[in-house]
This record gives sequence, structure tokens and C-alpha cells, in this order.
Amino acid sequence: MAATSQPRAQPKVSRGSKILRAFQPNRAVDGFTWSILVGFWIATAWVVWMSLPFKSLPTPSELWSALGSLWWEHGMGPEMFSTLKLITHATVLTVAISLALSYATVIPFLRPLVEGLSKLRFLGLTGLVFPFTLVTGGGYTLKVALLTFGMASFFITSMAQVVVEIPRSEFDHMRVLGAKEGRILWEVVIRGTLDRALDVLRQNVAMGWAMITMVEGISRAEGGIGALILNQNKHFRLAEVYAILLVILVLGLVMDYAMGVLTNVLCPYSRLGRVER
Amino acid sequence: MTASPGVANGEIVLSVDDVSLRLSGNLILDGVTFNVRDRIRVGTVTGQVVGLLGPSGVGKTRLFRIIAGLDSPDRGAITGIKSGELPAGTVGVVFQDYPLLRHRTVLSNLVLAGTIGGLEAGASRARAAKLLASFGLAERGDYYPARLSGGQRQRAAIAQQLMVPRPLLLLDEPFSGLDPAALDDVMKLIVEVANLDELNTIVVVTHDIRSAMTVSDTLFLLGRNRKEGKAVPGARIQETYDMVELGLAYRTNLQSAPEFVELERAIKAKFREL
Repeated sequence: MAATSQPRAQPKVSRGSKILRAFQPNRAVDGFTWSILVGFWIATAWVVWMSLPFKSLPTPSELWSALGSLWWEHGMGPEMFSTLKLITHATVLTVAISLALSYATVIPFLRPLVEGLSKLRFLGLTGLVFPFTLVTGGGYTLKVALLTFGMASFFITSMAQVVVEIPRSEFDHMRVLGAKEGRILWEVVIRGTLDRALDVLRQNVAMGWAMITMVEGISRAEGGIGALILNQNKHFRLAEVYAILLVILVLGLVMDYAMGVLTNVLCPYSRLGRVER
Repeated sequence: MTASPGVANGEIVLSVDDVSLRLSGNLILDGVTFNVRDRIRVGTVTGQVVGLLGPSGVGKTRLFRIIAGLDSPDRGAITGIKSGELPAGTVGVVFQDYPLLRHRTVLSNLVLAGTIGGLEAGASRARAAKLLASFGLAERGDYYPARLSGGQRQRAAIAQQLMVPRPLLLLDEPFSGLDPAALDDVMKLIVEVANLDELNTIVVVTHDIRSAMTVSDTLFLLGRNRKEGKAVPGARIQETYDMVELGLAYRTNLQSAPEFVELERAIKAKFREL
């Protein structure tokens, strides 16, 4: 008698089971479950915020009122523009300097120099204010120089490592095609690591953004939201301080999101290697 | 080495002469010497397929890299047709992991190979499209390599090497990890590529005895000498099998032939001693 086989009916996975996966290690969850999780944590944060006994934390209405005051009375708009101009300027310089140095590690002669420069990330910015002031003359240029130094020292470290870790097989592949070393540098080192460079840049922009308050505090006459938050802090206007922190956070998230979009547009292949668990 | 009736041996297309290599003081290759000659079959265009067999770790990949022009031997020389040198870029090479530039699409990878090899952009694009079609990858031209299956990636990597005609093509472990159907396809592909031109020579470096025997017209066994039961450092050619002379070349249903089975058994037995 010939055996007949019916396709086995797949058991339907209930919504509850899908949500339970969120509590198991090494599991992927679907979009609906992810929305539930995000919503849960936002709601939890809101409840905690509303019920915290600490007087130092403003209520949502106080925060909203402070935002309005900052925008209409303290010129937060122009200050935001000033800060965004500073971070953009520093980022452009960081990218140019750091990428050039990182790519230069393919030349053995320059490798010790780049490795030495990456060690400068341990210096910290505070002690460098005076020497940088002497070199730059202070003001906006000082802030750009400090921020660039802070971001570039970490960028060089990460990006130089990316270049060093390019497998030899990628260079061999181009050599057997008959490519000259300049072509190999372009295809394997520069274009081949573009997605990782953008990932490193994304992290470094976040680092630079976190340094903004300190850097703008050095020369408050130039303005910026870093200077604004320090002024509000000085007068114990806590609602205004938290409002500015919220703005800093939102702007940082927007920049981070924009960097992610840029990576997906320029390097659509970068998502392909990722494994969903 | 004499050829069988109907098959003549022509000029030398690849000569490996006394190649030795030492790494970190260890002798890896010790005087490897062999020649590959053009096989001439009247009325057909017949390229050459040479199998370089050896157990894992014996030095096949090192020899592979020297023939490809990527490394230099400490001693000896590799020459091609009319004793011409073979620097990197003159020999087609498909590595074991089928490398393709991950930031370029499959089509773009092939076009790049063409332009590096001297083709104009338009001609390169046309040739790439034609090769992809003949390799069954016409629908995959816009894919990035990460989206290809292993078999597709292998075919794309081979197609890339064929963008610019090179008489010598090296394949490193092309049979590794393939299912039986894919294995048959690859073996067929190797023979087809070899027969595109009389002087085309494909060198297959592998430890897969059966597949190497099926596609090759010559087999070289790379291994170390033994002294008092212990392996002496430095691999060299231990055996040469002229498959044409043995009547085991250019045949269909080869793997079921008794003489094929017997030879496979003999080579397997030798493998333990290499």
C-alpha cells in the first residue's frame, strides 16, 4: 500500500506565546511584540516619573512650561543652531583627519604615528583647554578644536582597528584580478569599510554630542545649548535644566537616526550580513 | 609521460620546477616539480584539468599561492606557456571562500574585473552580462554577494575570473561542502571552462579524491616522504597519475567503472602515508 503523506499542519503560535519569547534568551520577536515592549517601558518610565518623591524632578507640566519659556524668552532656537553648527563643523574635521590617518595605516611607515595619536584619547579635554587656547586664540575656534580632538582620538582608534582587521584574502582577491595597489586601497580599504566607518562615526558623533555641554561651557559668550544649560544650572532653574537635557536627548536621537538612514542609503549591503536570532 | 591513442601531448602550459618553501624555519615544500602539457585531441577543443591532491595541512594552499603569484618560493620557479612568468594578476584564482567585493553587486564585481583587466566599461558590462547568463546568474546580477547561495557565489567567483581570458585558472577546494547535485554541476562547469580554449588549464587543489579523479586528466599527489614511519618535513610530488593513459579521462559514467574504483582505493591508501 503506497504511503500517503499529508503536509503536517503547523500549530498556530498564539500572541501570548510570542510575547513570552521576549523573556527567553536568544530569541527574536516580531514587530507587534516589539511595539508592546517599547510601549510597556515608556509607560513604566512615565509612571515612575509621576510617582517619584524627589522634589528635584519637575512634573511634565513644569517641563512643558520651561520649554516654552526657553524657546520664547531665552532664545533656545538660535542656541540650538549654534550648537548644531559646532558639532557639524567638528564632525567634518574629525572625519577628514581621522579617516586620512586610519587609511594611512596601510603604509607601515605611518603606522606607529597613528597608533601614538590614538593613545591621546586618554588625555581628557579639561587639561588641554589652556594649550589649545594659546594655539587657537580662544572662542569658537577653540571649541571646534577641542571637540574635534575629543572625537578624533576615539575615531582614529576604532577606524584604525577596522583597517587592520581587513582579511588578507580581500587584498589577495584584488591582486589576482590584476589590480594595482592604489585601486586595492580604494576598493578594499576605503569603499570596502565604508559601512563600518559610518558605524564608527555614528558612535563618535554621539560621544561628541555628550561632550558639547563641557566644550560650550568653556566659552559661554559664543552661546549654544551647552552654555544655556550651564546658565540655568547656575540659577537653580531645574525645570529649565531638565527641559534642555530633553532637547539635547531628542536632538541626539534625531542625529543618530539620520546617521542610520545615511548608512542604509550608502551601504544597503551592510544589513545583509546581520543574523536575526 | 606518453598519451593514449587519439590524444597527443603538446607544449608545456605550466611548469613547476624545484619549488621549495620554508616558513618560520619549517620546511613546507621541498623541491616540488611537475609539468602540465597541452592535451591535443583531434577534432575537439580540449583544455587541461589537473588535480593537485593531498591531505589537509600538507602544503597545498602554500603551493597554490605560489602558483598564483601571491607568494614567492625560497627556491625554484613557476612558468607558463612558452616559459613565460606568472606574476599575480596573470593567473585566474578562485579561493575557497569564493571572494567577491561585498559592497558591489554581482554584475558590478564582474564589470570591475573586466575594467581592471583592460576592457572598456561598455565591453566589460556586455561580457559580464553574457557570462552571468551562461552561468545561470542572469537574475542575480543586481544582488549583493551576501544574498547569494554558496553555489551561486562560487559560480559568480568563477565567472569573475573569466572576464579577462587567462589560460591558467586555479581553484582551491571547489568541491568543499557541496551537495551531490551541486558537486555534479561544479565538475561539469570545470570541464566546460577548461574546454573553452585549447590552452586553458585548470588546476584544482583539493583533498576530494573522487571528484578530482572525475574531472582531471592528470593527478599529482602532494605529500611528505616517510622515514622509519615518521613524516619527513617538506612536501613534494609523490605520485603522478596520467588519467588519459589509464583510460580514465574523457568518459561518461566514470565513477562506476571498476578501474576507477580500484584507483580511488589505491589513492586513498596512499593518502594515509602522505
